[in-house]
Amino acid sequence: MPAGTQTVKSELSRIRLILLIMLALLVLLGGMLFSLQVSRGGEFEESLHRQSMRRIRLPAPRGLILDRHGVSLADNQPCYCLAFYLEEMRKPGKWKYTVAEIQRRISEFALLLGRKPVITEDDIWLHIRRRLPLPLVAWRSLDPAALARLAETSYDMTGVDIYVEPARIYPQNELASHLLGYVGKAELSDDEAAGYQYTLPEMEGKMGLERKFDAVMAGEAGGRLVRIDASGFKHAEQVEREPRAGASVVLAIDNRIQALAESAIRDVPGAVVVVDPGNGDVLALASSPTFNPNQFVPIVPKILWDQFNADPNRPMLNKAVAEVYAPGSIFKPVTALAALNSGAVSAGMTVDCPGYYMIGKKTMKCWNPNGHGRVDLRRAIEQSCNVYFATIGVKCGNDAISDLAALFGMGSKTGIELDREAPGLVPTPEWKTKAWHDDWRIGDTCNFSIGQGALAVTPLQMALMAAALANSGTVYRPRLVTGLRDWQGATLTNFPSVKVRQLPLAPSVMEAVRQGMHDVVMAPTGTGRRAGIPGVEMAGKTGTAEYGKKEDRKKHGWMIVFAPYDKPRYAVAMVVDDAVSGGLTVGPRVRELMLGIFGRGPASESEAGG
Amino acid sequence: MSEFFSSLRLLKRMNWLMLAVILGLIVIGVFFIYSATAMREDSTADLFRKQMVWAAAGLGCYLVTAMTDYRRLRDVSWGLYAMGLILLVAVLFFGTRIYGAKRWLMFLGIGVQPSEIGKLAVIILGACLLSPLAEKYARLLPMWKLYALAGVPMLLVMKEPDLGSALVFLPIVTAMLFAAGAPVRPLVTLMAGGALVVVLVLAAVALPERLGMTPEHQEKFFQTIRLSDYQRDRIAVFLHPGKDPMGTGWNKRQSEIAVGSGGLTGKGFLNGTQNILGFLPRTVAPTDFIFSVIAEETGFAGALLVLGLYGILMICGLYAAMVARDKMGRVLCVGIVTMVFTHAFVNVAMTIGVLPVVGIPLPLVSYGGTFMVITLFTLGLIQSVYVRRPGL
Repeated sequence: MPAGTQTVKSELSRIRLILLIMLALLVLLGGMLFSLQVSRGGEFEESLHRQSMRRIRLPAPRGLILDRHGVSLADNQPCYCLAFYLEEMRKPGKWKYTVAEIQRRISEFALLLGRKPVITEDDIWLHIRRRLPLPLVAWRSLDPAALARLAETSYDMTGVDIYVEPARIYPQNELASHLLGYVGKAELSDDEAAGYQYTLPEMEGKMGLERKFDAVMAGEAGGRLVRIDASGFKHAEQVEREPRAGASVVLAIDNRIQALAESAIRDVPGAVVVVDPGNGDVLALASSPTFNPNQFVPIVPKILWDQFNADPNRPMLNKAVAEVYAPGSIFKPVTALAALNSGAVSAGMTVDCPGYYMIGKKTMKCWNPNGHGRVDLRRAIEQSCNVYFATIGVKCGNDAISDLAALFGMGSKTGIELDREAPGLVPTPEWKTKAWHDDWRIGDTCNFSIGQGALAVTPLQMALMAAALANSGTVYRPRLVTGLRDWQGATLTNFPSVKVRQLPLAPSVMEAVRQGMHDVVMAPTGTGRRAGIPGVEMAGKTGTAEYGKKEDRKKHGWMIVFAPYDKPRYAVAMVVDDAVSGGLTVGPRVRELMLGIFGRGPASESEAGG
Repeated sequence: MSEFFSSLRLLKRMNWLMLAVILGLIVIGVFFIYSATAMREDSTADLFRKQMVWAAAGLGCYLVTAMTDYRRLRDVSWGLYAMGLILLVAVLFFGTRIYGAKRWLMFLGIGVQPSEIGKLAVIILGACLLSPLAEKYARLLPMWKLYALAGVPMLLVMKEPDLGSALVFLPIVTAMLFAAGAPVRPLVTLMAGGALVVVLVLAAVALPERLGMTPEHQEKFFQTIRLSDYQRDRIAVFLHPGKDPMGTGWNKRQSEIAVGSGGLTGKGFLNGTQNILGFLPRTVAPTDFIFSVIAEETGFAGALLVLGLYGILMICGLYAAMVARDKMGRVLCVGIVTMVFTHAFVNVAMTIGVLPVVGIPLPLVSYGGTFMVITLFTLGLIQSVYVRRPGL
């Protein structure tokens, strides 16, 4: 079968060809290997050498938070840790011998320090695999007694070291906790961790100013190069780049006034804000109940967290900016200004208060059932007469009032440097149609005129309103942070105070309302007389607003004041839950606060001020 | 019983050199799997022991296959093919998803890659169809029919998706057809066509960005040509090696450094720093990237030895093809040798960065239980052909 043989022969030569191609391809691979390994070998040797340098990310010292006088509210302190350098404790043979040795040493030190071991066997293994050149921290925050015992011990200290970690501390504990917030363990983003083989624990702001100004305070992490040999052991260390300390944040807060403000509401849920009417500086901003941020560092204990979340008084909430309230009668100055400014009402006009006000067939009660008799504006403010304000509110119309309320800053965020600020609400007919599918009625205007109904404001907005009343019509943006300083204390940035607007009100109109507010505190019959302190002329307005379910009605007590009357330096708004009334419940608390603020007496204060 | 003893006698005619080469590659594999995992004291630390168990099982398989007459495969070829297809469909539904691809079927805790069985089935079916006994059929069987038969499992593998494994079908079928005497011109045309497709795919990945298309347009374009993100990523990494040093390109870059830093004689057993310090990802060092561990620790010399062993394996395999008693044996051996060669070539080429990273292990060396058994079973078929050669 010659043809068949022929076929087989041709097939055999084809197989030979396949073999040749394969061998040629193998030779080609061999050639490429030669070029990669032998000809260009050095190139890779170098990148290998580079690679055996490991880079450790060094956290920068975090910037401080200071009050306006430089008192530190958030600081760093060394935290002493007992750490093991595993490489120095290496036992011959398998790693498990070393691990056993480390466990033995840990239980030994646990006896000495009187603390339970927190490191498990798994932790040790993980550390060996991932972070061998770094110290393994066995215990954090050792107290001085433990340090002393360590210093005197006859224990074998090879590979054992006291290791210092920066820790955040809030030296004044609860003070300004809602403003400061707290820090927690940072979770580095991929970008931040890129290029580093190891990282050390870092902190980042989780709440409040710590969070808002985290980027500023965090500074710039540095790097340390560690050379590692083939077995992962550390050979040499060098700091490649020093970390750059973060900037310190300087607040407008006055440490002393903040403490006074917190003390004034320490036993009731509520909020206080003190601003400087001259520039909008926030001198104090307090919310009650409060918390101690030191308990939250480095991690928030779960029990504490649950407890805070379950508390109906919501200690974690900054009520001064994040909670809204009906303002009640402290809103009446706005109604008065709107009415006077519209020309519909004059300061001399009187209204007869029989103790109630008729809206169609319904009656609206004045808080004094006997009625206030015939009252003019000044008297109406001093007595907080509902009938008077309902009357003038209806006269000038709700639009004039809501426009002016908006100009005072109600219904929009003030722009303070804090998260979760609530804008509040100024009701309008358009709003009511949209939200309630209902028309605006006269009764709505009456309610609105006396600060009830859907009107909702934050204590901060009320403090700014008080400030605008104090300075005769300038609305400032609240300034909580006045500037940034570097590590040595040199000024990096100053944030100027910002004037938002000048209210379009005639000076005579403003003066008429201010006189009424003066009498509120200064007249013997004024609703806010309990806030008065000797030697300081003050003006203010009390308010009481109902809240809660019908069967369980409670009242928010409000008071705004500014002082001294002629040249106001402080404008205050205070709100307290579950009050009898603004005058009775809040008045004495405001008095306590003002006594503290003017504690050294107004004369010496003005001397000091120049 | 006597048949059993006669086949035992047949074993004496075995190609001992080939068996030695196979053992050599397995031993090298076990040593460097040990090296790749030696610094670990977790469960993966005894991978090398598991690999020895698998190799023993595989070698048993190898001897049984060598004793069995390969011509009996005729009866099971279609059945095996059907089973391969069923498994390939099953993996799409019940497969274990690893990194976005379903390539593994789990049987009683043992992972099987149906794509391996698919390749084996296509080789056996092809050898049967192309053999003289089926000559009548073979003449009627135009080339494209075998391509079509191979195309079904290939598309299923592509669907997993496992582009690398799928493409291996092409050289296998082409080599078998060529060895079976298929006309050269259409084969060359087909191969040129295949090469063109590869070039087009590469161009499709690279060009839109070069031409300045907006990302949305690029996205649309890729959707129309049905290239998945991960395929694009891998091809893109191949085209721009420096593009993504910590992401997809990491393995490739680290593997290159490992191989390159090995130099002429390497850093010594258990001393590969790339490997030990975990720059070569520990999940792939004992499997797909075992060759870079070998190249780092034994240098060019060791790497060349491994390549040389493969060369001898190819020579032995194709020698078996040439002395085979019939055409079926010839084509079968060519198919198997091509498969093993393609795996080895692609794996080494990707290790040194000249081909994109695809999930193809190094036959006989990489860690992998079922892959080892299937490879040894397949190589046993070559011995089965060889011991039944005419003469003596």
